[in-house]
Amino acid sequence: MPHSETVNEALETSVRQILRATLGLGQRPLTAATPLLGSLPELDSMAVISVITALEDHFGITVSDDDIHARHFATVGSLVDFIHAITRPDR
Amino acid sequence: MTRSSTSLLPFFLPASGGQRYCLLHLPAPESGQKRPPRGGIVYLHPFAEELNKSRRVAALQARAFADAGYSVLQIDLHGCGDSSGDFADARWAIWRNDVHLACAWLQQRVSGPLTLWGLRLGALLALDIARHPPVPLARLLLWQPELSGRRSMDQFLRLRLAARMLADNGQKEAPGHARAQLAAGQNIEVAGYTLAPELVHAIDDIDAARLAPTAPAPAVPVYWLEYSASTATLPAPAARLVQQWRSEGAQLHIAAFDDGAFWSSAEIMECPQLLQATRQLCGDWLTEPGSVPHGR
Repeated sequence: MPHSETVNEALETSVRQILRATLGLGQRPLTAATPLLGSLPELDSMAVISVITALEDHFGITVSDDDIHARHFATVGSLVDFIHAITRPDR
Repeated sequence: MTRSSTSLLPFFLPASGGQRYCLLHLPAPESGQKRPPRGGIVYLHPFAEELNKSRRVAALQARAFADAGYSVLQIDLHGCGDSSGDFADARWAIWRNDVHLACAWLQQRVSGPLTLWGLRLGALLALDIARHPPVPLARLLLWQPELSGRRSMDQFLRLRLAARMLADNGQKEAPGHARAQLAAGQNIEVAGYTLAPELVHAIDDIDAARLAPTAPAPAVPVYWLEYSASTATLPAPAARLVQQWRSEGAQLHIAAFDDGAFWSSAEIMECPQLLQATRQLCGDWLTEPGSVPHGR
């Protein structure tokens, strides 16, 4: 899914904050294009689960096992798109 | 704080199926003068790999408690850490029994009030124990408590999916496969740990919001530290339980810390904010009588 212009900025900010806090990234720059899986050494399997849990708590969503998939964790942008798709009211 | 006059005593406690590795942190006698004991604290560690990741911070806090005059007993539960048994042999009932043993052992040796302190699933275990405590408890100290056993197990089982996603070796696991194996009575392996269905199903049944039908909220004062920017921004499940417990009349003290998720972090962390927040939140029992309280 291409990174959509319609993605709400607040959502992207929240996702970036959750990534920063959960992975302990400090002030390292994170943009939509920042690669995640395979690029961030902090992102091991326990960290992936922590990120998902933090996203679930923050957005009040449930991520299904099917969605623990590399396509959603490729970049910051793909993760934002994924959360956007889950939280969209018309889903 | 560089006082290193507190002493550390590793030993094995005999228990069912072998022995449990224990670490006892003892307070230092003050300037040669023996001061009265202030009480005992039993620490309950978190689940599986989180035990290893959190050892450093737990040790720092245990030392801080010993500096304040408390004796702290850290016990590795059955099948965990350096205790007897494989993880596959671990059962919730055995862990409960281990906690009973640890509390009784400490109370025989240290007078004063007894505190149960738990991290993550260890905090949920402390809450479960507090329903029918083996000895009178003065209070619970909960660090980032798991609130739903079922959710904590679901998250742990997800590690298999996450590991496969990271390995990207093409092997895919059907969603729900781990749960199906457990339901069929089979052990499963997750992140190098073999889990028995009896353990997972027992943990599934523990929910902090439904501790007991008659007295849902804990009967002893609860000191709760949650990872969050502030107590105004608690994760929704924590905020709900805080509200529920308060409406049920629980004596609840809560504070936030923002160091990071040290129990799951890839890096071993120290958590100065957590230690500081714990010291402040627990000031009513931690601050030495006669000393100048900090920031209160």
